[in-house]
Amino acid sequence: MVSGSVSSRLLGQIPLLTLLVLCAATALMTDRFLSPVNLNNILVQSSIMAVIAIGMTFVIIGGGFDLSVGSTAALSGCVAAMVMLKAGIVAGVVAGIAVGALVGLLNGLVIAYLKVNPFITTLGTMVLVRGLVFLVTGGAPVEGDHGLPSTFVGFGSTRFLGLHALVWVPIVLLALLSWVMHATPFGRHIYATGGGREAAYLSGVPVARITASTYVICGALAGVAGVMLAARLQSGQPTAGEFYELTAIAAVVLGGAALHGGEGTLYKSVIGVFIMIVLGNSLNLLNVDSYWQRVAIGVVIIAAAAADSLRSRR
Amino acid sequence: MRRTLLMAALAACTALAAPLTAVQAQGKITIGVSLPQDDNPFYIAMMRGIRARAGELGWEVVSVSSNEDKLKQINGVQDLVARGVKGVLISPIDATGVNAAYDAAAAGKVPIVSVARGSTSPNQTLHVAMDEKQIGRDIAEWTAKSIGGKGKVAMLLGPSGAPTFRNLAEGYTEVMGKYPDIRVVFRNDGPLTRERGLKNTEDVLVANPDLAAIYTANDDVALGATQAVLAASRKGKTLVTGMNGVPPALRALKEGNLAMTVELNPVLWGRMGVDVLSEYLKGSKVEPRVFIKHVLIDNSNIEQKLPK
Repeated sequence: MVSGSVSSRLLGQIPLLTLLVLCAATALMTDRFLSPVNLNNILVQSSIMAVIAIGMTFVIIGGGFDLSVGSTAALSGCVAAMVMLKAGIVAGVVAGIAVGALVGLLNGLVIAYLKVNPFITTLGTMVLVRGLVFLVTGGAPVEGDHGLPSTFVGFGSTRFLGLHALVWVPIVLLALLSWVMHATPFGRHIYATGGGREAAYLSGVPVARITASTYVICGALAGVAGVMLAARLQSGQPTAGEFYELTAIAAVVLGGAALHGGEGTLYKSVIGVFIMIVLGNSLNLLNVDSYWQRVAIGVVIIAAAAADSLRSRR
Repeated sequence: MRRTLLMAALAACTALAAPLTAVQAQGKITIGVSLPQDDNPFYIAMMRGIRARAGELGWEVVSVSSNEDKLKQINGVQDLVARGVKGVLISPIDATGVNAAYDAAAAGKVPIVSVARGSTSPNQTLHVAMDEKQIGRDIAEWTAKSIGGKGKVAMLLGPSGAPTFRNLAEGYTEVMGKYPDIRVVFRNDGPLTRERGLKNTEDVLVANPDLAAIYTANDDVALGATQAVLAASRKGKTLVTGMNGVPPALRALKEGNLAMTVELNPVLWGRMGVDVLSEYLKGSKVEPRVFIKHVLIDNSNIEQKLPK
């Protein structure tokens, strides 16, 4: 009995173990992996995807799915850049995040109240929002005649307390939202909704409102990621964020969340993001052919999902 | 029953309307345009050139979007032919993947001119091309000279399978192979985005902090690469070369962040496509392959090239 709980707790840490093994293996193959520059690169490269994955975890724990996050990030980044050029940094950042939340609200209303399948709804908004990005930008990157405001661009490259400024965003969000998810009635309602809509409804959980709010959170976080992306790319890029949704979903699943809802932990999704980013980083450091990189990433995703299904079968 | 009648009436209306619009268009020559992307600055500029030159000739331009989706490009060209355009300017997504578009044009007896990217289709009427391998060689010669004939070089190529980028890289590696002290330490395929240039370069610079030069398949990738080079305090030590000569790249060159780019002048390219098509429609003899000239831009001639 005791040994059983130890082994199941160990299985619960599969994401972390995978990450550690991956890091150890790469560190053995190249001494550059553990260099401060590279570790900093990994943190920065993970930061944007981590924010998206945190939002995605809310939706997935609530029993949903969101394919529109990549397009939303691109729209938010471009809107933020456009507003910023006219009305200043604060207005730009607020506008970017608000646009993301609006897309999330649209997803949430359609899915929770019109009861349209989340996969189809967000597939629709994914295409629709990408169209909007091209419409508002005319298809060209947004950077003004002299670039975005230097304070904003600086945010994409300066450091704060030893860490890159961008890295602080997911750290703060993770702390705040972990508390919301794991210590408030709202968080418990999300788990209940994802675990079983009918049971949750019967026990008094406002299922539709909870479902809709997970999409608003996810959209707003995609908006935050879009603003970060604009800071990092020093411009609003209409083509940015393509396939982000798939990387984010893979990361959430790698982090042990169940695609049918009701299970998952925010910080483990972030570990999932690290697995994806470290994998890409180490293959680049080792100069592995880009075609093999795709094969390797596919194998890791399937292996992680298989490990997860083995765990839940116990 | 009423529904079927209504549908039939609708169908009849559209069938009647189609030849009507074709008749209306007869006074004016209408050409169709199908480019691989409508969001890439290079093709946006090319489109501007096409529209400008067509406007001068009094032609009308109809464009269909494909966004790197081969099926969409084929369907788009079929729609253009069905619309009754007098000629099609196309920049095919793939050298063979969209040959059905050329077949559709040939079946409708509409001349189809490839601009920039080319096709293997026997139905390609003309090709306004760039000498890709030669450009690759020129970039390599410039780079080799600038780094003193020795050092490590990274290559960030274009999307897998696109012949343009394969040819460029082939020309580049051919020349670099002649320098025994230059070593290509990294090469990979990938999307033509700033983000990818940034990420790849960050990683490459960790593995090879003494990198002498980075070849990139286009300016967007190059701009990402220069950002990483700057962050690693390698400005002026790791030279980044781009390709296409879009305005942001010219600004980066002026600031000394980008070492060199190749001007292809997409606006001129679009104009040339229209001119070549116009010659062909007049019945003049045109070479099946027309080369557009390219110019290397570095700090020696950047002042004349900056957008006014």
